Amino acid sequence: MKPLPRFDYHAPASLAEALSLLATLDEAKPIAGGTDLMPLLREAACSPSNLVDLNRVAELNYIQEDAGYICIGATATHAQVAASPIAAKAPALVDAVSWIGSPQVRNRATVAGNLCNASPAADSAPPLLVHEAEVTIRSLSETRTIPLDELFAGPKLNSLKPDELVTEIRFRAPPGGSGSSFKRIGRRKAFTLSVVSAAAYVETSGNKVREARLAFGSVAETPIRTPEAEEILRGKALTAKLLDRAAEAVKAEVAPITDIRGTAEYRRDMCGVLMRRTLAEAAERAR
Amino acid sequence: MNMRISFELNGTPVSVGVLPYTSLLDTLRDELDVKSVKKGCEQGECGACTVLLDGSPVASCLLLAPQAEGRHVTTLEGLEKNSLMIDLREAFMENGAVQCGFCTPGMLISAYALLRDNPHPTELEVKRGIEGNICRCTGFTKILEAILDAAERMAPE
Repeated sequence: MKPLPRFDYHAPASLAEALSLLATLDEAKPIAGGTDLMPLLREAACSPSNLVDLNRVAELNYIQEDAGYICIGATATHAQVAASPIAAKAPALVDAVSWIGSPQVRNRATVAGNLCNASPAADSAPPLLVHEAEVTIRSLSETRTIPLDELFAGPKLNSLKPDELVTEIRFRAPPGGSGSSFKRIGRRKAFTLSVVSAAAYVETSGNKVREARLAFGSVAETPIRTPEAEEILRGKALTAKLLDRAAEAVKAEVAPITDIRGTAEYRRDMCGVLMRRTLAEAAERAR
Repeated sequence: MNMRISFELNGTPVSVGVLPYTSLLDTLRDELDVKSVKKGCEQGECGACTVLLDGSPVASCLLLAPQAEGRHVTTLEGLEKNSLMIDLREAFMENGAVQCGFCTPGMLISAYALLRDNPHPTELEVKRGIEGNICRCTGFTKILEAILDAAERMAPE
């Protein structure tokens, strides 16, 4: 029996009302799926005086394509993204969210919440990083858009101010001749945190990759890209020798730690393995 | 701050006074006497508290009671006469899929949602359907067999 701490509950019906509550209430925290927040509340790891429930803000629940961007509203759940024909254009993202948690979790948990929780192991992060996703952040007084990596301030730490809300995640709809892939290693297959996760995105031209982007989870303080490895790959054919060089660069760029889920050494090695597997699948999908 | 919430429980409108910092799980068990919904981990990990929220399986320990306002909540009690649930129940009994029984209501709710949406699941699809329900007795094999058996009873090929 783990009682919840006391708080007041607010269920705004519009974004304007939600932002106004976040701006005026003391120690207010937004809640969407609650799959991360509820356990934190029970562990007394956080004790807001007010919870602002976003579930009734209909205008935040969407997945749509707009002016060449795929846009995911703040309360879009993993299950909604997994089933969305629009999100299907980014298979790395769909693969990632399809394996987060369990059906019970995916029916409630949101992509925006997964990102704001800022776990280094957030599986939605590597695919969105390789798509160079942007995050729209709103408060009562300001709207700003930042690259996704700037949302991550450290392990379990985001860069939002207390009155700010992520309202949308968006990335360019992948062009023809591009492909993406996400793979992860866990201690078991289902309903588990990633020991290492990786995403790759490529745009191909003939037998060369015109553009290559790589991102990894659970191997640094935040989910990260590996720009040096990307530079090695860019404009080249994916030969065995080139992949060896890129894998060495990846292993030098990540900074894993040893914890209960795996050792730093294992994680570093697996980054090389997952880089090869995701690149191969992304290139295949780009065909 | 006491508040009154109204929602539909197993097809019947209910109205109940709750504190906002109460889970739907506690409200169902303690205020509405719905005892099929079990309290296990209270972290959304074990699946014993699974209910259908507007038809989708969710962990009721991760929902605040006021989040059920205006929604449809379905538990095992509401599916007692449902033909798919009857097939599932019988298949669970005949395949030895129940030992201590604590996980069974949550397992049945997940299996129900799976077969309702996908009447002919593969073995992997069944495994994925009960990903969020932990059983510490059976080793899952008999549960898997029971769900596949129920699928055949429901819609023989």
